[in-house]
Amino acid sequence: MYILGISCYYHDSSAALLKDGKIVAAAEEERFSRKKHDTTFPDLAIKYCLESQGITIDDVDYVGFYEKPFIKFERVLSQHLECFPLSLKVFLSSTPSWINEKLRVVSKIKKSLKYKGDILFIDHHMGHAASSFLVSPFKKAAIVTVDGVGEWTTTSYGIGEGNDIRLLKDIQFPNSIGLLYSTITAYLGFTVNNSEYKVMGLAPYGNMDRKTNPWYNKLFKVVDVKDDGSYRLNMKYFKFHWADRMPSHAMCSLLGGPIRKPESEVDQRHKDIAAALQMVTEDIMTKILNHVHKETKCNNLVMAGGVALNSVYNGKILKNTPFKKIWIQPAAGDGGTVIGVVHYIYNTILGNKRTYQMTDANLGPKYNTEQIQTFLDKNNIKYTTFKNDNELVKTSAKLCHENHVIGWFQDGMEWGPRALGCRSILASPCNPKAKELLNTKVKHREKFRPFAPVVCDDDAAKYFDCDKPVPEPTDYMLMVYPVFKKWHKKIPSVTHVDGSGRLQTIRKHQNPRYYNTIKEFGKLSKIPILINTSFNIRGEPIVCTPHDAYKCMMGTGIDYLVMDKFLIKRSENPKDMWDSEKYAID
Amino acid sequence: MSFKAFKKGMHNFTTNISIIINTILLIIVYFIGVGITFIFAKMVGKHFLDMKLSKGSYWKTLNLKKKPMVSYYRQF
Repeated sequence: MYILGISCYYHDSSAALLKDGKIVAAAEEERFSRKKHDTTFPDLAIKYCLESQGITIDDVDYVGFYEKPFIKFERVLSQHLECFPLSLKVFLSSTPSWINEKLRVVSKIKKSLKYKGDILFIDHHMGHAASSFLVSPFKKAAIVTVDGVGEWTTTSYGIGEGNDIRLLKDIQFPNSIGLLYSTITAYLGFTVNNSEYKVMGLAPYGNMDRKTNPWYNKLFKVVDVKDDGSYRLNMKYFKFHWADRMPSHAMCSLLGGPIRKPESEVDQRHKDIAAALQMVTEDIMTKILNHVHKETKCNNLVMAGGVALNSVYNGKILKNTPFKKIWIQPAAGDGGTVIGVVHYIYNTILGNKRTYQMTDANLGPKYNTEQIQTFLDKNNIKYTTFKNDNELVKTSAKLCHENHVIGWFQDGMEWGPRALGCRSILASPCNPKAKELLNTKVKHREKFRPFAPVVCDDDAAKYFDCDKPVPEPTDYMLMVYPVFKKWHKKIPSVTHVDGSGRLQTIRKHQNPRYYNTIKEFGKLSKIPILINTSFNIRGEPIVCTPHDAYKCMMGTGIDYLVMDKFLIKRSENPKDMWDSEKYAID
Repeated sequence: MSFKAFKKGMHNFTTNISIIINTILLIIVYFIGVGITFIFAKMVGKHFLDMKLSKGSYWKTLNLKKKPMVSYYRQF
């Protein structure tokens, strides 16, 4: 039995394919269309899913959609009714897309895919809940979903047991932690639904003391939080329910100035506001999780929704709440709901037993040795071939140790927003200039943003003050932990200003080449940790194909590309005609 | 002027006309449909969004669980 899940028309369109209870392919449309956070119908992601199994749409038994469009439209209409006549501009700009696309999902799916079968619509937060619980290692768990907004729900909790999920309570639009975070993100001059993680990275540069940060108490004027974690936003500080701008003038007055202009200087006030926002978010989430534990009496927790990508908070959950174990799937945001949709249909609606547990994120396109060699030969690219895996591992580790920057293209593309060793850029974390080098020559990112370390699971506890045993979400770079002080100066490029690191742990069975390269680097440097950053430049999606990877290397300062068993040196190949600097915008 | 340029000009013209007509129609719908409903709602004190702060918990009972198969075919 095949079930296809589709998410689109909001942000991060994606598709996933389930075969007999197991996810066999999943990818976001942006990787194929090369448009970051692509919202359009995911034709290319669907094409990949079907082709990966050698099937056509006629072989698909069910198509699942990630929300109930009419309920969402009811919420949008309610916004216009509540905010008349202020919402005229948004009404004029958004209504055509509702009429032409969002309310015609059935005809779009049937026409675009030539699909004649059944289409099922799953509530958005149920999709989130299922995306986490049904692929988790737990038979029973408390479920918390927190995002910007689905149909009406913005925050929900419930319980999952076996095949069954019950979402017990929720908080509804316009009250949303996700939208609060996005509003301050917009206030700080970053792009909404894209740069929230930058605000999270900016926070440690601010004053993280609740007593002395001047904005911390002020932000509690914006949100009323009860002891049970329920909350409501004071809407005089927001405009997102009727305008295309999120913070209101009252918010600007409260935060002591106008919205920061993009690319302008980030001053101490901005950093302190980011810190206050992170602390407020953490306080609300801790109250929610404590309440959920009390209500559900479960020691296992699964989370989903965009707020579950807040890795700084995720790393504190097991310390600050009574939960003993945690699971978050790699694509916890809206794109990831398709995983939940297909599993909910298969396991819950159709009642099939759960047989799948997600243990790695390599669900995207794979290219075999022959395909890559054909690409290289066809384009007259100079390369050398490794004799075996041992040579590949040793050479890669040596290049990193010599402070070269390596593009690393192996296996299936990662599912979710993080590069996890299949479409990564690797470098030595021991090089104090690595961060500057990567930023100026390759990534063109804001200077305050940290780089992430990757470490083998058996070495993690030596360098990081992490939960033990290391939780599985750490494999997907979803947990931030303190770096032990003695290592701060030895791995400066991956130690953030507050002494933390957003580590990825890698287990040998997940990606042996990657695992062995890190171990080999450890033999050379005495520290088995590498910098792992996504294989892209700022403003571009992570690379998908060999062509994308080669193009990215030739347009940046990446020195070598290790693609399957081939080594390509940038200086041995003619420089491409494009300049990555030109594209270095969000 | 070539036929291609004429065709392109006509295409732009029709696109612009349709944007203008759509905008006029949407303004009418907004002020008559949304506006009149808004006035009635104000008269009866109906609110469409939960925005009032209160003393009690803000959690709402959702109780979302497995439903009959037919409900998943619906978009609402």
